[in-house]
Amino acid sequence: MSTEARAGRLGPFTLGRLAWRNLRRNRRRTWITAVTVAVAVLLLQFAMALMMGVERQSFDNLINYQTGHAKVFANGYYAAREDLPLDRGIAAAETLQVRLRAVPGVLATAARLTFQAQLSNGSDQLPCVGIGIDVGGSDADVFRIPQAVTDGVYLEPDRLGMLIGGGLAEVLGVGLGDWLTVLAKTRNGAFEAVDLEVVGVLGTGNPAIDRGTFLVPLVLAQTMLAMPGAATEIAVRFRPAAREGATLGRLRGAAAEAGLDARGWREVESDFLALVSAKRTGRTVALVVFLTVALVGVTNTILMAAFERTREIGMLMALGLRGAGVRRLFLAEGALLGLLGGAVGTLVGAALIAWLAVSGLDIASFYGDMDIGYPVQDRIYTAFDAGALLFGWLLAVALAALASLYPAARASRLDPVEALRHV
Amino acid sequence: MTAAARLTDVRKTYRVGSLEVPAVRGVSLEIEAGAFMAIAGPSGSGKTTLLNLLGALDTPTGGAVEIAERPTAGLSARDLADFRGAHLGFVFQTFNLIPVLTARENVELPLQLQGVGDRAERRERVERVLTDVGLADLMDRRPTELSGGQQQRVAIARALVKRPTLVLADEPTANLDSATAGEIMALMRGMNERLGTSFVFSTHDPLVMEHARRLVRLHDGLVKSDERRDGGSGVH
Repeated sequence: MSTEARAGRLGPFTLGRLAWRNLRRNRRRTWITAVTVAVAVLLLQFAMALMMGVERQSFDNLINYQTGHAKVFANGYYAAREDLPLDRGIAAAETLQVRLRAVPGVLATAARLTFQAQLSNGSDQLPCVGIGIDVGGSDADVFRIPQAVTDGVYLEPDRLGMLIGGGLAEVLGVGLGDWLTVLAKTRNGAFEAVDLEVVGVLGTGNPAIDRGTFLVPLVLAQTMLAMPGAATEIAVRFRPAAREGATLGRLRGAAAEAGLDARGWREVESDFLALVSAKRTGRTVALVVFLTVALVGVTNTILMAAFERTREIGMLMALGLRGAGVRRLFLAEGALLGLLGGAVGTLVGAALIAWLAVSGLDIASFYGDMDIGYPVQDRIYTAFDAGALLFGWLLAVALAALASLYPAARASRLDPVEALRHV
Repeated sequence: MTAAARLTDVRKTYRVGSLEVPAVRGVSLEIEAGAFMAIAGPSGSGKTTLLNLLGALDTPTGGAVEIAERPTAGLSARDLADFRGAHLGFVFQTFNLIPVLTARENVELPLQLQGVGDRAERRERVERVLTDVGLADLMDRRPTELSGGQQQRVAIARALVKRPTLVLADEPTANLDSATAGEIMALMRGMNERLGTSFVFSTHDPLVMEHARRLVRLHDGLVKSDERRDGGSGVH
């Protein structure tokens, strides 16, 4: 009696056909509702793509200008990293770097010496972070600093120069060719000062760098801080095709063998990532709430449709359609509205997202130089992600069905006698 | 011969606020298999209530209703729906076809609800019954493309396609002109004779009463008269 199991309900094909034709009964109402859904889904898709794009750009920025894919420290440095302790340095020796570069998946390494300093233009003095970078060697293989020089030139090994963040230069009122005094405490606690010429200005889009960091040749920093041949960290870039987790695992092993401590960029930037994650959660909740509100139109449409077809519902019940079958019919109509509106919104959204993923959105004209909370600048590129687009579409279908739940349940509870008497 | 339906001292009382309104006050009737019966009476006499009870759309507040030898008392809404799907056909005053479905699709609906899974079988049965009611050429039209009489023919086909024990028709001719009404009654009488399906009508229409082989008159929720006219005037 396999047919008995299906008694009292309509098959999916019949249900879908009936739902589709019922929606076409009042085409204008259906279109108006579908357009509402489409606009909501379009905004959802766009907001999601923008959010993902900003995040991806932020992560690229952090990797390119701040952390690389991983950093290797002396044991104990990481826990105290906020203080930039100089007494926990490591040897910048090429032999160590050769060993790290031998780890499969690692592309390049660069020794850096990070220190606290005061920058003075003669009248004002600002606390900053100074970084000694391996100018003649490998820093440019790990980081993208040369590409971020917006004015002037990159550092040269034998020149007493510095690169300075654009925001910092503005605050200090200095430009190319001006001289600044760097004041820092050496490893031994003595104060040391050196005058350096501004040879280049940086614009990375990363506020931490642009507004608070200057770069000097590594040898100069080592000399100034009385740390010859030393560094505070070795930054590591992975090969583009390397699997991040596996490479990091191998790097950790190699570092541990050398008595050192390797940390991935996600760990080094965990505060920022936590912030990003919190923002993402907040925005996702806001978007889902927004979409739900937009889908109240679906509730109204299905409510009206069910009311108009009260007698028909009674007839279907007389024919043997169970209450659950009635509910399913109206849920199908709501879901179909979500499917249609969602498809239109997703298609238009996909086109817009694909375009902005290539051409980018000029945020400078919206925000000027304002900090938007992410290390990005000038242009935001949306992330075109087919999975996310599909998710947004299916979310619309699910929420539209959810929005139909109340009117559908109401219709399913009708008394057939009352329903048939309805005029 | 078994009865298509049996009512034993059936009572139905509606509650309107704190008021109890008796609609049917103790009706006992046996509807024999193959009956062609009209229930007549003025408005408020209880004929629609009686038809709803016979149609398992409603359950009595007292007494027993048996359809196809099975009592309807104690059945849940869902079981009642399944019961209607299996045993009962309906023809309504206002036809009540689904406007977005063709005649063929409207008639197919009860078979789908009954769980007849084989498409070819459904198609064959739908086409046969639509041919029987004289709509062989109009199967793919929608209700709006059919006349009132044609729509009621579709409704009759829809009621008969699942071969029910009993077809209930609530004022089936009320929205038709008298010539068409006569045709519809003759069609139902013919199907009744050919298939042996029992028909029960509620009506005001003398024409329907004239076609019936049995006429039950109700008054104030009670049977006032029960008149059998075997071989009756229905054959014109």
